[in-house]
Amino acid sequence: MTPEQIFDTLEKAGLRGRGGAGFPTGTKWRFVKKAPGSKKYVICNADESEPGTFKDRLILEGDPHAIVEALAIAAYAVGADEGYIYIRGEYTIAQQRLHRAIEQAREMGFLGEKIFNTDFKFDLHIHSGAGAYICGEETALIESIEGKRGEPRARPPYPTTNGLWDHPTLVNNVETLANVGPILRNGPQWYRSFGTPSSPGTKVYTILGNTNVTGLIEVPMGITLREVIAIYGKGMKNDKSFKLAQTGGSSGSIIPASLQDTPMDFDSFSKAGVALGSGALLICDEDTCVVDLARVLLNFFRKESCGKCTPCRVGNQRAFEILTNISEGTGVLSDLTDLMNLSDNLYQLSNCGLGQTAGAPIRDILNYFRAEVEAHIRLKVCPTGVCPMSGKRI
Amino acid sequence: MVTVTIDGKKIEVSEGTTVLRAAQSAGINIPTLCDHPHLTPYGGCRLCLVEVEGARTLQPSCTLPVSNNMVVKTDTQKVLDARKFVLTLIFSERNHFCPYCQVSGGDCELQNSAYHEGMTHWPLQPNWQPYPMDASHPYIILENNRCILCRRCVRACGELVGNYTLGFEERGANSLLVADTGVVLGESSCISCGTCVQVCPTGALIDRWSAYRGHDEQAIDTQTICVGCSIGCGINVFTRDNNLLRIDGNWDAPVNEGVICEIGRFKPMNEKCDRLVTPMIRKNGSLKATTWEEALKVTSSELKSHKGKKGDVIAAMISTRQSIETISHFKGLFSEGLGSELVTTTEEGAFTESAAKVAGSLGKAFEGKLIDMLDADSFMVLGTDLVKDHQVAGFFIKRVIGNGPRLLVLDAEENPLSLLANKALKNKKNTFEDAINALSAAVVKLGLTKEKTSIKATDLDGFATKTGLKSEDYLDAAYVIATQKPMIVYEKGVSAAALKDFAQLIGAKLISVKGKANSLAASQFGLEKPVKLGAHKALVVLGDDEISQKMIKDFEKVPFKVVIASSSSALTAMADVVLPAANWLEQEGHYLSLDGRLQKANRCLTPATEVRSTDAILLALAETTGIKLNNDWTTELHHRVAATEIVN
Repeated sequence: MTPEQIFDTLEKAGLRGRGGAGFPTGTKWRFVKKAPGSKKYVICNADESEPGTFKDRLILEGDPHAIVEALAIAAYAVGADEGYIYIRGEYTIAQQRLHRAIEQAREMGFLGEKIFNTDFKFDLHIHSGAGAYICGEETALIESIEGKRGEPRARPPYPTTNGLWDHPTLVNNVETLANVGPILRNGPQWYRSFGTPSSPGTKVYTILGNTNVTGLIEVPMGITLREVIAIYGKGMKNDKSFKLAQTGGSSGSIIPASLQDTPMDFDSFSKAGVALGSGALLICDEDTCVVDLARVLLNFFRKESCGKCTPCRVGNQRAFEILTNISEGTGVLSDLTDLMNLSDNLYQLSNCGLGQTAGAPIRDILNYFRAEVEAHIRLKVCPTGVCPMSGKRI
Repeated sequence: MVTVTIDGKKIEVSEGTTVLRAAQSAGINIPTLCDHPHLTPYGGCRLCLVEVEGARTLQPSCTLPVSNNMVVKTDTQKVLDARKFVLTLIFSERNHFCPYCQVSGGDCELQNSAYHEGMTHWPLQPNWQPYPMDASHPYIILENNRCILCRRCVRACGELVGNYTLGFEERGANSLLVADTGVVLGESSCISCGTCVQVCPTGALIDRWSAYRGHDEQAIDTQTICVGCSIGCGINVFTRDNNLLRIDGNWDAPVNEGVICEIGRFKPMNEKCDRLVTPMIRKNGSLKATTWEEALKVTSSELKSHKGKKGDVIAAMISTRQSIETISHFKGLFSEGLGSELVTTTEEGAFTESAAKVAGSLGKAFEGKLIDMLDADSFMVLGTDLVKDHQVAGFFIKRVIGNGPRLLVLDAEENPLSLLANKALKNKKNTFEDAINALSAAVVKLGLTKEKTSIKATDLDGFATKTGLKSEDYLDAAYVIATQKPMIVYEKGVSAAALKDFAQLIGAKLISVKGKANSLAASQFGLEKPVKLGAHKALVVLGDDEISQKMIKDFEKVPFKVVIASSSSALTAMADVVLPAANWLEQEGHYLSLDGRLQKANRCLTPATEVRSTDAILLALAETTGIKLNNDWTTELHHRVAATEIVN
């Protein structure tokens, strides 16, 4: 296949990035191919750090060869000769298996000089992360590989033209790359037989929370939450009722029960004003307090913000403090205005995806569960009994 | 060129320009905090956000490059609200209690921005958590409570100085400015250049001396040059009520572009010297205050009595920190006027003689310019410690070697730059010529020459052995230095003649660091003689340079000694006449930098009533001695071929 045929196939298949943003993969590859420069890189983003998400780990542990193969194909297609797999430091088993897979590929002549007796050469490095959530952001990841502090860069320019060491760089998520081999092998028609027209294919989710069964599932795009809970989760634990689901780790959305019949694909979700995220489904029952949930999420963000831009660094800290006040029964009604203000501004003013989505839980709980939040303030009562409701206002 | 519309104004700028710079070029003001014209854009503070048509969110104008037909709005309600919100967050982050801060009231960019946006308060509660304060440094105080985490200091420390001392630890809300791996500033790798203080937008990094001594607008800002070494950095001297407050690097100075070193910034404040305030003459064995008239009369009558006599009669030495005017008059008075055969500088030409000879025999300049350092792709530093002296030249090397250019250090002494070098060679003392020959042979052996040479590859072992090093060392070194655009920096003790041939061989630019501020000018005036005191009858020393003990012993034998200096020293203590002179800040004059740039130093302070400028003292002496001095120094400055081209 020529690079052009590969791009065409991927575009026809409609493969979209599985890292969370859903950018068309074929188009991204084409950008890198077109970018001027003789030195190019391909990077696999395996720094999976979203709370509750472990799909990439299982893919890497189960079939590391698929990723090595997809990276080599990507390198061939975009004209790169060097690649990196940036993998989360805690994924030791996946790292070992990847090392073996790369060595085996070298032995078989799938990596190295003169691959398949052509002029194409390509080799892979594994770069282990050191525990920073933000290094899953592609430009922070690139900075980290360059040996700098993991802080997202300003964009534009994008990595497709100015990436690793300022060379054009392709960054793809593990799950996205795992789709490449099967698509090229079976053709775009086969791939489109799964999922919806705008989001074809399957999606890997990790189900966790208050369902009877938790774990990893691969389902066609467009399945609904109700189906996931009923079929794969085998229903809610202790026959409690379903209250909300939190998608995509921390940067996903809070999906209220009212949206459980919305098809889970990129476009239907964005139409409903929520996000698909990175593939975690935290299923919560009626005993979950939304204030507590938002507080836990904001606690995560304030600690994991890189600290580069003001809105994310300070905004998350202030939002966390306000939510703490509310959960301790010392909130005032003007706190809700401040929270909404923070949430809007985080989206508008932040540098990268972390800051831009960090306000989403606040927005979602105020959109869907405002009465419950106000009960904390007006009645000084946590309806689910989770919040301590006794504290001193910060 | 691309066209961008900002606030309805069509602006044409070159591709790659940021929206912020495009707006500034059209006179549109966008407030900023983390931006600094001399640092790479960072996009951290988010104060400069603007609305870009078609963009999903507000965009930081400092990092956003313009694209053709881009439409930008900087004054919409959305933008104004965003600015206020960003300022609210910054104020709520740490403990910004303005009334207690020394920069409050005009010198704080954060406070000024808030006033500009019409802020009266900030609605969010701060966390009231105290942050550490670090007062361990001799010149600098780091007050984290006032830090806005803009990273200007971090970028300045790395990008401009190449020292990489400052950095951030932790992340998110816990981010904290630290030195090295979290040690206090006073015990860190900080070299006290103070560039971080100069770029800090708030009172987080302040210098002890000028703190709480008034705002910038109450101070007088005089642009002048530093006379600490021969680089000739442009500086801004802030004074108030004839007191020295602070010295900043001049961002617009072509030599240093804002960066100066510890010696330039902090040493002048810290000078503990005993200023001379009145002329003195020795009467009955001790120095007694007297009038200028008497002091000049005594001096000139003694000097006149030796006028025109041959041999060891009058010895006259001038500091190379004096202006060209003074040096010219000094030479005119003592050499031409009084016929002294020993008119020289306290440096005795050590830094310039060898290069001047080469230039003389070539009949043209052979050294390059400081600016060549910025696009060199390899450096060779020979026998000079650029960490101690001529630090700014060291900064130029340190700031780029991380991005690709290579560094070779060759020194007979311990050289701190060795730590950063790709290859460091320590040769035996006094073997620089052999070392250079060995390098030439190594270059020949590797076939990296750009010119012909008589040195053969087979000579390598012989030369290498003489320097106490191995041939392999020189082969490694040759790989480091023989690049497209090499640059060689050397100092006294290295033969310019041998080095010139090697530079030609590899196509390198050469530059020598030249002692004090006017060493090159003194060399142009031919003041390079070594001081050999015989039966001299009179000695005149002008300047405050430190003199070696051995020389002081020699001086003692001279029956009549005149010292023209600004502060008392061992020299003035044994003088027969002491004439109090202005220091470098109290007088003006021209200086010739190490790469031949002619610059004027301006007067920043008024000297005490009885203190005169060195030039005025020489003119008065000439008058009482009956000698007419020539005021045209430019002709003589160009009289001799200089090692580097002289440019105005």
